[in-house]
Amino acid sequence: MITLRDVTKSYGEVTAVDRVSFEVPSGEVCVLIGPSGCGKTTTLRMINRLIEPTSGTIEIDGRDIMDSRPEELRRHIGYVIQSVGLFPHLTVAENVATVPKLLGWERRRYEPKALELLEIVGLPPAEYAEKYPRQLSGGQAQRVGVARALAADPPLLLMDEPFGAVDPLTRERLQAEFARIQRELRKTVIFVTHDVDEAIKLADRIALMRAGRLEQYDTPETLLDHPASKFVHDFMGSDRALKRLGRACVADVMRTDVESTTDGTRAIPREACTDSRFVYLTDESGVLEGWVDCRVLDAGTPPEDAGTPVDWREAAVHPETTLKDALSRMLGFGFRNVAVVDAQGRLVGEVSLAAIEATMADADTHIANLEEGEVLGALPDEEARS
Amino acid sequence: MVALTGCALLPFVEFRANRIVSGEPESVLAAGIAGWVLVAFVVLALAGAVAPERARGPLLLAAGAGSGLALLWALGVAAVRLQQGAPAIARVSIGPGAWLAGLGALVVWFAGTRATGSARVRRTAGAVALLGVAAVLMWGGLAELSIAREYAVQSRRFWGLVRQHLVLAGSGVGFGVLIGIPLGVLASRNRVVREVGLGVVSVIQTIPSMAMLGLLIAPLSALGLAAIGTTPAVIALTLYALLPVMRNTFVGLAGVDPGVIDAGRGMGMGRLQLLVRVEAPLALPLVIEGVRAAAVLVIGIAAVTAFIGAGGLGILVFQGWGQQADDLTLLGAIPMVVLAVLADISMRGLRRLVVSPGIEEGAVS
Amino acid sequence: MMLAPRMRPVIAAVAGVVVFAWIVGQQDLWVRALSALFPGSVRPVYPAATVAELTLQHLRLVGISSGLTLLVGIPLGIWVTRPSGADFREIVSASVDFGQTFPPVAVLALMMPILGFGLWPAVVALFLYGMFPVVSNTVAGLEAVPGTLIDAARGMGMGRGRILLAVELPLAARVIMAGVRTSVVINIGTATVAAAVGAGGLGDPIIGGINVQNMAYVLQGATAAALLAIVADGLLAGAERLLTPRGLEA
Repeated sequence: MITLRDVTKSYGEVTAVDRVSFEVPSGEVCVLIGPSGCGKTTTLRMINRLIEPTSGTIEIDGRDIMDSRPEELRRHIGYVIQSVGLFPHLTVAENVATVPKLLGWERRRYEPKALELLEIVGLPPAEYAEKYPRQLSGGQAQRVGVARALAADPPLLLMDEPFGAVDPLTRERLQAEFARIQRELRKTVIFVTHDVDEAIKLADRIALMRAGRLEQYDTPETLLDHPASKFVHDFMGSDRALKRLGRACVADVMRTDVESTTDGTRAIPREACTDSRFVYLTDESGVLEGWVDCRVLDAGTPPEDAGTPVDWREAAVHPETTLKDALSRMLGFGFRNVAVVDAQGRLVGEVSLAAIEATMADADTHIANLEEGEVLGALPDEEARS
Repeated sequence: MVALTGCALLPFVEFRANRIVSGEPESVLAAGIAGWVLVAFVVLALAGAVAPERARGPLLLAAGAGSGLALLWALGVAAVRLQQGAPAIARVSIGPGAWLAGLGALVVWFAGTRATGSARVRRTAGAVALLGVAAVLMWGGLAELSIAREYAVQSRRFWGLVRQHLVLAGSGVGFGVLIGIPLGVLASRNRVVREVGLGVVSVIQTIPSMAMLGLLIAPLSALGLAAIGTTPAVIALTLYALLPVMRNTFVGLAGVDPGVIDAGRGMGMGRLQLLVRVEAPLALPLVIEGVRAAAVLVIGIAAVTAFIGAGGLGILVFQGWGQQADDLTLLGAIPMVVLAVLADISMRGLRRLVVSPGIEEGAVS
Repeated sequence: MMLAPRMRPVIAAVAGVVVFAWIVGQQDLWVRALSALFPGSVRPVYPAATVAELTLQHLRLVGISSGLTLLVGIPLGIWVTRPSGADFREIVSASVDFGQTFPPVAVLALMMPILGFGLWPAVVALFLYGMFPVVSNTVAGLEAVPGTLIDAARGMGMGRGRILLAVELPLAARVIMAGVRTSVVINIGTATVAAAVGAGGLGDPIIGGINVQNMAYVLQGATAAALLAIVADGLLAGAERLLTPRGLEA
């Protein structure tokens, strides 16, 4: 557990952080968010004493951070930054082993640990351990950054806009991976970002800061539904219902009993379309190759022409995709259903607009108005494929 | 082109009745067939310069090595021929045409090493060229040239002076590194050292070497130290070595990505650990580049210190000038160039050897 | 009076030149100062020429050789970065890199057997040696101009010559001037040594002084030569500053 009490940082006349107090229970992700210059990074950097607080106390599991040497303290706190800061002259494996080496671990202890962590962050060690940072893409480098921060198994992780410098697609993947790793490892994480969607997606609690002060500290749901001030309300954005969809993922609402057939090219009998509208076409190993819309069959189209071939990388979502992204995908394609596939493209289920709507039954504003006749009626439906 | 005109129009070798008097010019044809081989290689070099991209490197390498070797061969042949029947004190010296041709061959060779992508081709060509040079030297024709005769006269003194030159330059660079690297580190940490220190060292660098030696006389005499000889020479050389070493150390350290430093500090590295484990290895390519520049510079300036009696190869140059004996001058100047080039090559090699493969080549110089 | 920050070093450099010229012109000052420093010396001042004469000789040597260097070196550097000279780019760069490792004294020494003694051989040696930094910086400066800018200029309809004059040279000016500065400062230094091959200049009293064991001569020549180099360096640094487009200032 991390406790901040009246933590203040002043530079001469300027107060960068003003009497900030909050508490992060062990194993939770606390996201510090706010406009630039609000003091979120300063607050983060005071926790590992890269910046010394002017006043106030910070405790980690009841121990005041001022009681240990800064270097000693930092070796037990993972640290991930936006620019990653991998050491260019060291290999990926050596980078990951940095803190264990500082702690005086022996080689036979830190080496397997480094390889294990590379595996965890999705970089097969056989391929990546001996590479140098300049041979990595931005996303890969940040994975190494996360592995490096986890190397000495610190209970606490500080992350300063870790996914801020990568492209949106990579960012989404890294966020999903981070959520997965966090589910496994249950670290206490303080995470700085200026991206509200990212905060909502990852946070157990959000600390919203403004001009050095803490505006509100609570769960994302509370910030969205009961903002403490107009500033919080405006900062979280007007599309709050949509934002809340960022909290849930496809796995929570998808149905797995979908109709599918490997007979892609042959005629689909009308009887195959029982209670669902789509029959999915897959190859032998279950990889999504297309679908058939049963209404097309009803309309009298010859069955052999009814199949629509698709690329799963574009036309499907993953179980860990947020409902917000899934919804945006549906709107983009003009369908009320979308297939769910795993990382290899194998069909695992289907998520429908109705299911998403049900999860936000209590939501306010315009999503509630998404009745058939209005927005959805405007969606190009069958025509989209003809 | 220049090389071609050079060996065609300017005297190739000069025949002189003795060491001092001026000589009679002889054209490249004095070397007979060897001369024609040389001309052929020069033409090949011209072809190489305009050849398509892929063939250019190997062609230039072949032309450079070939014309260099043919030049040595032709010189030897011409010397042996002209020396026949002449009195023992007669000298055959290398003429302007041959000098230009030699320069041209070197340039073509270096252009070839640059234009050649494959390291294996480069290495093979280098080995072949070395073997060729060794063969020409073994053959002995070159011993008839005036500079070789001069060497034969001066040989014992010559090697002493080479050693002296190396000791002078080595101490200058050594002290320059010992003082310059810490100063560079300080400059990266402290604004006053950076502004004042680099400023002073830059001003020192602009002072002509001979003026520096003159200016050192007064303060050294005041301190009771020898104002003439090795002491002022080493002091001056150290002062000149300071700038490249200090500036490159500073630039190298200042160029380390702040994110890397932040990450290092955030992981719990102390100042010293950060310097030794992160900053130093990252600044290393530039620091070595600084030492290389200092070494090349100081080998050159060490020649001037002969003026104040510090010894070294400069003595041969200045005595040669004093006696109007070109061979003596060249006996000092050519090894000086060789030393500078060797220092340059070995520092570049060292850099490849010790710099982590994770760091991109081609940093600022 | 407020001065634009970029003018300050320029004014300082010009002031330096004026002060230097005044000091050099005051032969009495040198006589008095050297007599005071070397009270025992019968002849504390170099007799063959005044400091002003020696400085002018020095400047003539450096002026001619550096002038030739700029006239040849900058166009050469420009040419090898144009399509017509691209074939020679490698050869020129290789020779320039190689040449820069040559000790200046060795270049003087290598010229003597070919050209003999006196002013003109020294001019040729200084001219050649001065080429290396000028050509290398001209090429480096021009090649550092981002290709996107040249594309943009071409897209706006500029011709090759106009792109060179309006885009490339202004952007490369700082780097080219840095090369010119290095070249001239090295030339002033090497010109001092060239006194040994009869080129005259401020090296004369230094060499003469060492030969006749008169340290006053040495100090006279050394002081003037050092001041000349520092003042020239300052002046060229000022020019470098002035030629840098405002938008590129740090």
